[in-house]
Amino acid sequence: MSADPLNANPTILSASDLPTRRRRPSSHTNIGAFSAVFSKGINVSSPSSDPFATSPISLSDSDSEDDAIIDRIDEQEIYDLISSISDPEHPLSLGELAVVNLPDIDVRDAPTAPFSTVLVQITPTITHCSLATVIGLGVRVRLEQALPPRFRVDVRIKEGTHSTADQVNKQLNDKERVAAALENGTLMGVLNKMLETCR
Amino acid sequence: MTTVKISLLAPFNPPSLSRTWSSQPHHSLPLLATASSDKSVRVYSLTSFNLISTIEGGHKRSIRSIAWKPGTKGESVLATGSFDSSAGIWRRWDNDMVPRPERQEIEIGSGSNGEEEEEEEWRFAVVLDGHESEVKSVAWSAGGNFLATCSRDKSVWVWEEMEDDNFETIAVLQEHEGDVKCVVWHPEEELLASSSYDDTIRLYKEDIDDWTCISLLKGHNSTVWSIDFEPTSNPSLVATGNISSPVSTRFLEMRNAAGPRLVSTSDDLTIRIWSRVPRETDGALGEHGMIPSRIRTGSIEEEWTEEAQFPQAHTRAIYSVAWSKRTGRVVSAGGDGKIVVYEERWRSGDRTSTTPGNDHTPAKPENSQVGEGVQGTDSQRELTGDDAVAATEWVVLAEMPAAHGVYEVNHVCWAKRFDKGRTKDEEVIISTGDDGATKAWILGS
Repeated sequence: MSADPLNANPTILSASDLPTRRRRPSSHTNIGAFSAVFSKGINVSSPSSDPFATSPISLSDSDSEDDAIIDRIDEQEIYDLISSISDPEHPLSLGELAVVNLPDIDVRDAPTAPFSTVLVQITPTITHCSLATVIGLGVRVRLEQALPPRFRVDVRIKEGTHSTADQVNKQLNDKERVAAALENGTLMGVLNKMLETCR
Repeated sequence: MTTVKISLLAPFNPPSLSRTWSSQPHHSLPLLATASSDKSVRVYSLTSFNLISTIEGGHKRSIRSIAWKPGTKGESVLATGSFDSSAGIWRRWDNDMVPRPERQEIEIGSGSNGEEEEEEEWRFAVVLDGHESEVKSVAWSAGGNFLATCSRDKSVWVWEEMEDDNFETIAVLQEHEGDVKCVVWHPEEELLASSSYDDTIRLYKEDIDDWTCISLLKGHNSTVWSIDFEPTSNPSLVATGNISSPVSTRFLEMRNAAGPRLVSTSDDLTIRIWSRVPRETDGALGEHGMIPSRIRTGSIEEEWTEEAQFPQAHTRAIYSVAWSKRTGRVVSAGGDGKIVVYEERWRSGDRTSTTPGNDHTPAKPENSQVGEGVQGTDSQRELTGDDAVAATEWVVLAEMPAAHGVYEVNHVCWAKRFDKGRTKDEEVIISTGDDGATKAWILGS
């Protein structure tokens, strides 16, 4: 976005270190619960994920009694949806920059609840990153486009990682502002570029 | 817990295919206008729930809000507020909209005759330019002579229609420190209220030649999404018994002196009632002496205080609130997809002046001092303002979860019931949601 990056030397995670369902199924305790049923509505996989993981065939039948119709969504799926978003100023993904991290994703997707929630806490690369709002908006837009409508998406700056976190949080979670932002051609150009790397 | 049910009367057909932001019933005709993110306004019949006409082509972005100009006869006038930073004024002859089932007007909207101006169509009369960013809300004053608009640019504008289609900006009010989400006029006074992303509500009046902010209402901890005034004569309490008790009498006297209250809903999940502190000249509480000196004698500034909070019934941001003119009930809706109806009731048992506190009544030190300080000749003066406030409580009368399925509900309002099934003077609740649908609901047991 600019010739002069705000953070010229971000910490970068190797793609092989990023969490995936295949490599470290035990790295996340919630994975077992609603394992491996990818929503057919979301045709997404991270570059390194197991091709078989996207199969609609459930690896475990244990969760199929309650939700024969609705595929439950877990944190890893949310991670896969947003970790491949490109950073607006670095040629790297939000996963590689550790802006989005699996432990900072919280999904409540109970079959009995009238709606489900996803909370994503993002970690800006530097505490005064002026692009935090754009990054957060990208995460929100990605999830709103990919997730079924029962999901309420909350995107927040992880506590203590940004100087104006409260302001950014309030903007990111103001439905009207987000809706208006999505009708802003310039901003959508930036967001679309960030989301190009998502499939 | 609640015995009253909210049931679906009918969905309006066909719905918008994208998010419907809000709706408003016509002041006299059985019509409902809806504002949609597909840049169009749909006008539905409240008799048949079918689409009568669609207004398209005026705005470049989402239409966020609409308002019928009150008091018009023979011609309807609609104001629209859009994310394209403008407001629009539309006109249409009423005889074109009198619902006649044999007329297939449904096609008119989708047919979109280009630029051609047909007599029986909506005419885009004026574009009101001036706001720097999205217009969020539009509202006509009770007499219809003023139009208020508000925007993400933090300003509230007051427009006056000088002659047909000539609107003059008579005020640009820039006190808010964040987006202004909602504007609403007092039901009879030329008093304007606005609520904001800055968590506050402001009230404005014309002082000689200038519109100025006359009150600042602080209390909410997050964006105040929606506000609405109480109807001028609220029938809910008067109709019920127990009026003979001193506390009830006091309460009603105070209500009369203060005038309509204001209800507000917020991202902080609360719904609050605000009331005007009556002036000394109104002969009510004699509180004028206690008002800080910044309020000069003869000043138009007003003191409004938080009177009550509703029991919490929502789990996500509350986007909309509306006060029924017919019943005095309040309806709210929000991100949790729920519609909730509340009713104000007399507290059971007579309360004495020693027990002013309760969960939903905020402490108001000024008022209790006032009560003690006033040496009224009238025996009722022994009751403080807090007692009168605590004379009533708000209860949840009915709830409708998942009113629009899994989708958020953006707006609710009350409308007169016009369909064949009505029994007498009845009301319906109209809701609009992210699913694009507009639905009519009735209350029943």
